[in-house]
Amino acid sequence: MNWSHVKLIFHREVRDQLRDRRTMFTICILPLLLYPLMGMVMMQVAQFHREQHVTIGVVGYENWPADFPLITDVKNDKIHWKKLASDSELVQSFAKSYVTSDPGTKDASGTQASKQITAPVVAERVLRQMESDAIIWVPESFRDSIAQDSLVVLSNQRWERSQLAVQCLQERMNDWHANWLRNHMKATEMGATILEPPKVRQIDASDAEMKRALVWSKILPFVMLVWALTGAFYPAIDLCAGEKERGTLETLLCSPARRREIVWGKLLTVMCFSIGTALLNLASMHTTASIVMSKFAGLGAGDMVAAMGPLPLHSMVWLILLVIPISAMFSALALAVACLARSTKEGQYYLMPLLLVGMPLVMLPMIPGVVLSPGTSIIPVTGAVLMSRALMDGEFTHALLHLPTVATVTVLCCLLAVRWAVRQFESESVMFRDVERASMKQWIRNVWRQREDTPTTNEAVLCGLLILVCLFFGRLALGGMALTWSSIVQSTVVIQLAMILAPALIMATILTRSVRKSLRLHRPVGVEIAGAILLAISLHPTYAVFASMVGAEYKLGEQTIGMLMQFDSIIASTPIWSVLLVLALIPAICEELAFRGFLFAGLLRNGGHVRAILLSSVLFGLSHGVLQQTITAATLGLLIGWLAYRTGGVGCSIAFHCIHNSLSMLLAAHSSRGTGVPYWLTWALEINDGRIAYTSTWCTLSVGVSIALIAWFATKKAFAVSLNLEETQGILRETRSGRRVGFR
Amino acid sequence: MDLVQVQNLCKSYPDAEQGEFKALDNVSFVAKAGEVFGLLGPNGAGKTTALRILATILHPTSGSVRIFNFDVTKQADYVRHSIGFVSNNTAIYDRMSAWEMVEYFGRLYALPDDHLYPRMEKIFRRLQMDDFKECPGAKMSTGMKQKTSIARALIHDPPVLIFDEASLGLDVMVARALQSIVLDLRDQGKCIIYSTHIMREVERLCDRVAIIYKGKVIDSGSLADLAARHDQDDFEELFFQLLMSDDEELAEKTSSLGMPTLNGTVAASMGVGPL
Repeated sequence: MNWSHVKLIFHREVRDQLRDRRTMFTICILPLLLYPLMGMVMMQVAQFHREQHVTIGVVGYENWPADFPLITDVKNDKIHWKKLASDSELVQSFAKSYVTSDPGTKDASGTQASKQITAPVVAERVLRQMESDAIIWVPESFRDSIAQDSLVVLSNQRWERSQLAVQCLQERMNDWHANWLRNHMKATEMGATILEPPKVRQIDASDAEMKRALVWSKILPFVMLVWALTGAFYPAIDLCAGEKERGTLETLLCSPARRREIVWGKLLTVMCFSIGTALLNLASMHTTASIVMSKFAGLGAGDMVAAMGPLPLHSMVWLILLVIPISAMFSALALAVACLARSTKEGQYYLMPLLLVGMPLVMLPMIPGVVLSPGTSIIPVTGAVLMSRALMDGEFTHALLHLPTVATVTVLCCLLAVRWAVRQFESESVMFRDVERASMKQWIRNVWRQREDTPTTNEAVLCGLLILVCLFFGRLALGGMALTWSSIVQSTVVIQLAMILAPALIMATILTRSVRKSLRLHRPVGVEIAGAILLAISLHPTYAVFASMVGAEYKLGEQTIGMLMQFDSIIASTPIWSVLLVLALIPAICEELAFRGFLFAGLLRNGGHVRAILLSSVLFGLSHGVLQQTITAATLGLLIGWLAYRTGGVGCSIAFHCIHNSLSMLLAAHSSRGTGVPYWLTWALEINDGRIAYTSTWCTLSVGVSIALIAWFATKKAFAVSLNLEETQGILRETRSGRRVGFR
Repeated sequence: MDLVQVQNLCKSYPDAEQGEFKALDNVSFVAKAGEVFGLLGPNGAGKTTALRILATILHPTSGSVRIFNFDVTKQADYVRHSIGFVSNNTAIYDRMSAWEMVEYFGRLYALPDDHLYPRMEKIFRRLQMDDFKECPGAKMSTGMKQKTSIARALIHDPPVLIFDEASLGLDVMVARALQSIVLDLRDQGKCIIYSTHIMREVERLCDRVAIIYKGKVIDSGSLADLAARHDQDDFEELFFQLLMSDDEELAEKTSSLGMPTLNGTVAASMGVGPL
């Protein structure tokens, strides 16, 4: 890589972008104007809001006790009281049905029903006619016996002003009542102080500056991320799709700069603008908000507002440091996506999907209670945001502890995105693709005519997504069932057969020529199957340890634990062969055929074995609804995928999966049943805390056995069942370079 | 000296309708230093694909291409240093002036400043570009743009120059200027690959030609050779006849296979309907 090329390209692109007025406007001018303008509008609205007051009509004002008048001469009273004449016809007609008469004394039930239908209409008319937000009736008896009689308040909860009026009225009533009580108490010997609640004096350990940082640390990362993405996206489209459109990309491609250098040059440019936009927005928003909020604080607004003063400088520094990795990641992503687009117009369409992918990662840290932990630190953007928040809060040791994971994840994601972008640049079909003119019918016909022995990569990914969607709706539909053995059987069979196996099987039948090759069904080799079974047994203790570690990190909910206990007791009271059939064999066959069969076959194309193993295990993990299970299954999926790759078919993975599930079920059933460990297994199993667990001897020993078995599998040559052109060439190449090759 | 050697070059694309589309099918030719080699063919014949492969922008499916004795797939960096590529698709930057554009590419070729600036001045003078040195690309006329592109391609003084339909859209004045530049470069001993579908240009410029049609070289040789071989002095007529006879051969082949004939596809692709 020639960095002088990268530097040259970077300089040129930056200059080019700076000369573009549209980019400059969205990236520099807009943020500078946006927030002050928004602040201004907010101020205006707030003024308007403060001046708003409500009108409450009072019928029978003369009945109100005279010693505490409702109408006071306090200036700027929020409530405007309006005396209403009780003899108006409308008020009379309404009062007749609601206020004065008791419902119990109604003579005919028929008339009451009709009145109740018309009453709301009348009520609304009363409110409108009287130009009041609420109306209160004070009965004649109120003056003498306030406690006994209820006041009738008419409001319309559909109107916001009316809601506000009722709220104000209630507050005023409470005040009034407190005063009234105090006066009455004064007359007695107890005195008024007995009514006062104990006084509370709060002492806050955090200083005001820290509190401000807390509020900002929740808001600013979000704002920053959105702008980092936006700031990256528009230059990226202009630098890739735009150059394609204008024809200048080809000029650059035939220059001495290599594709990788071009990508890096462009990436640095995009990053530069992404960081610039994010920082400008941050600065502008922060300045404006501090000023606006300080105005509000002067007017006696809430604590939240008071806490929004300027952010301490050191917090600002951490935030700025966060911008760099996040911008790098979004820039690389935006660049890769922008390469896909043929034109700037097409590029604009890709912004939304990118935002949709990015948003959850940004929203996650905003959920209350989500803090930096081993679990959250491995989530791409989330980890970095939480890290910066911890730093802003001054928890340096905690942040430092997670720095390695967060940094590794971020760098890894950046590199992956860059690699993707470089790949896009090196792909002729992406760089020089023309507008597809084929019609839908033509396309379908081609898919049918050109179908091959195994599915294409796209078909495999589509199948995986289809399975996930089916599972999502399937689980929702089956969710309400009571937990009994028959419902477990029913839901397992439906999920496995209809939602996991069926999509793969249907796609294999329709989209490929050979179902056998698509599902990677080959004649199993006895030794390999035996090896897989042994591996499943020897790896189970390690898996149990790993699963408990995951369980400790991501705590299960009370409800889930209860469900699991119930589940265990159900399988304990069911014949073991049926448990193994339903919960071990059927899932093993269905899931393996789908994930290590159809999906794997498609992803394995063009030497994509790493891709096949990774992606199939991720999708396999996601197909397990519970988060904890997703993590353990995805990890185990890596190994099963590797086995499937090494042995060339699904046989071994089915065996492994089936034995693995069986062991889990057997342990759970026996633990629940409370039967002891048979004497011939005491070397491997023990009773621990009422449950059957592996002995530490066997745990240690099994690791060695597993490593030996994995090493044995590693000596097997890897090959795919289906051999298309590229694969044949690959194998020929391997033969030439002296690697052992064999066909079965 | 054979500066450009193309042997059995094939390029195929996945295609929605036929499954695989052969843009180039066993194309071979050789071009020497000090000659203008013409690549002729109707639109869509595969000229641009071939020249893109020569410029290392596309990878060949099979076959070998050597430029200045460097292999286009294995030594792409060296190849890019030895060629200047001017094509319809190599546009210039809208927001850069002619001077900046040429300077930028000169720097990408790692020319030292004391070498770059004298050379730029020389080229700008030779191509009569001094008037619009500071004019941004967006405001240039087609002729100005093409001159800037040529200046960009010449800045590192490459031994091989590739012009892909470079005269498209140019007025007579600029087209003539381009021709004189090409001849001038030839006299300096450069090897020039010149693709076009305008016969007058071929007659005026090219020493030898290869006629490409539907991805295949139908015939090649010097103009005199071709005229003698096909007994036709008018080159446009000769070109047309060659394409027609190729189509007829194809039609015979397909009709013998019991498939519908494809008569008149040349006429259609040449923009002339059957009379």
